[in-house]
Amino acid sequence: MSLSSIFEPRSVAVIGASVNGKKWGGRIFKNIIDGGYRGEVYPINHREKKIGEKLCYPSILDSPGAELAIIAIPAESVLKAAEECGQKGTKGLVVVTAGFGEVGAAGKELEKELVGIIEKYDMRMIGPNTLGIANAHIKLNATIISQMPRPGPISFITQSGTLGLALADWTVDMGLGLRIVVSTGNKADVDDVDLLEYLGGDPETGVIAMYVEGINRGKKFLETAQKVKKPIVAIKTGRSTRGAKAVFSHTGSLAGSDQIYTAAFKQGGILRMDTIEEVFDAALALSCQPLPKSNRVAIISNGGAASIIASDACEKYGIEIADLSEETIRRLKAALPPYASPVNPVDTAGSSSYETYKETIEALFLDPNVDALIVIYVHTIMSDAVPPAQAAMEVKRKFPKPMITCWMGGAGTERGVAVLKEGCMPNYPLPERAVKALASLIQHRDFLTRVKK
Amino acid sequence: MILTEHETKEILARYGIPVTKGALAANPRQAVDQARVIGFPLVMKISSREISHKSDIGGVLLNIKSEKEVVEAYTTLLENARRHAPSAKIEGVLVQQMVPSGLEVIIGAKKDPQFDHALMFGLGGIFVEICGDVSFRVAPITQKEALEMIAEIKGYQVLKGIRGKKPYDIDAISDILIKVSEMVEKENILELDINPLIVYGQGAIAADARAMKK
Repeated sequence: MSLSSIFEPRSVAVIGASVNGKKWGGRIFKNIIDGGYRGEVYPINHREKKIGEKLCYPSILDSPGAELAIIAIPAESVLKAAEECGQKGTKGLVVVTAGFGEVGAAGKELEKELVGIIEKYDMRMIGPNTLGIANAHIKLNATIISQMPRPGPISFITQSGTLGLALADWTVDMGLGLRIVVSTGNKADVDDVDLLEYLGGDPETGVIAMYVEGINRGKKFLETAQKVKKPIVAIKTGRSTRGAKAVFSHTGSLAGSDQIYTAAFKQGGILRMDTIEEVFDAALALSCQPLPKSNRVAIISNGGAASIIASDACEKYGIEIADLSEETIRRLKAALPPYASPVNPVDTAGSSSYETYKETIEALFLDPNVDALIVIYVHTIMSDAVPPAQAAMEVKRKFPKPMITCWMGGAGTERGVAVLKEGCMPNYPLPERAVKALASLIQHRDFLTRVKK
Repeated sequence: MILTEHETKEILARYGIPVTKGALAANPRQAVDQARVIGFPLVMKISSREISHKSDIGGVLLNIKSEKEVVEAYTTLLENARRHAPSAKIEGVLVQQMVPSGLEVIIGAKKDPQFDHALMFGLGGIFVEICGDVSFRVAPITQKEALEMIAEIKGYQVLKGIRGKKPYDIDAISDILIKVSEMVEKENILELDINPLIVYGQGAIAADARAMKK
């Protein structure tokens, strides 16, 4: 069972393509063309003769055929289109059309028939009722995301169409690199288990991010998640449902669906987050930093308050502020201004020069008690955000320990952030977010240690 | 279908979970016969599918030390049941071994639409009833996961022994969690409470249990 016909197709047919960009088919067709996909693209529409430069075919049967077909036509025509795809040898379907299992008995029946056709022709299907798929590495944007994501290691599975794709758009703005984006729709054929397996084996996927409302095949999903060693970060919604009705047993009233999901995710090594921001903050860190050997961290900042906020947050997440060795303290004394104190968290007492940051960061990295570093820079009009960023990047190159940065402040900070982004450093505008991201690295390492034993 | 304490314990025993010795008596004479087999002291409880919270209605009598007390207790229990739950169908009275006190914990299970069965562990009494200090896992669990879920509760130090008190048998709890994990899948249990499981420095025994199955 390979989903490569869906995610790495050599050719794509868009059934329901249109010149009208306001129609799903029209929008998706336009996005595929604009995105720069290099495979063959065939618009299928029985009313139109040409869309842009491409010749339109009334049916996929009239076309040369495609490995993947996107179906965005009214529900009553979908079965016929799927049948034709099967006859033509198409292997993957992405059915955008809604009005199937999500609407009621008649829709469920229609969905069953659709699945019957998929099985008959040995095809695989995403959806129905999906907003599409994207693969940044082959420049395939078969979704309504407005811009092609930058290729990167984060793959994103979303159960919500609109929210999921709005998020994907947002990650593009945030500069996160994405690999595969898939809006799962009704999961009538391909479900979370299949996607985890596929992404687990996909060499370009480094981190899997998920937006989940409900899981099918829960136990198989857990087993699969445990076998996938890549970090999986998820937000699962629907916390507020209170399950307890009759109080027959304590367990009955305490074991709500949400507590059970938390337990299950923990067992599967899935990092469950409370907010969307946390999911992508964690995904960013997990995609470009090594895992720490322990939970002992050193913090450096040019402003005392920020380092205290960071160390408070560390305590909250069970991250230990490392005791520095004698050697490190000696080095810090030499690197810091005389009125600065060589303890962890390190406060440079306002100095943010290249030399101060370089020597301080290096001293901390060399300390055997330190397994991770949080580097904070607080920007004011009196200093330059770039040199400390350059120092951080320079030193990081020499050490395999993870570093998380927090460049914070107003106008001018972004110049330093640009340096960090270029070097693929996970940077956050607030200390708490930086600490939470580090906590995710530690959590994932704990999971790997646990399953190895 | 609601199972009585007696029926629930029979299933637990089949899976190797230690339960207090007990038998159902349909009349005072049978109760005395059972008392002779089990030995004193005893606990006697009203047995009815429709009475879930026995202590609330005077349906539990402790520390029964003689055959005379057995007969008196039998009558009292039936009277209390008739007064507080007149329409309940009474099966009889459960005559049960009374075990020494130890640390009370709760082990539970619940059927879940996504993950088949969830397991629950916590310290008993107010810790579960008022504080909700419990941990969950989904079945099946390994020994490692059992030990992890035990260690996860806020009151874990109580199990390890505090203020000079000796530690309780955590391995016994872990063993029972694993057996419950196996049992709920095979027996199609919808809900289960073993409450309390009484834990000692060595060993543990289920003093009361309730369950619902398909």
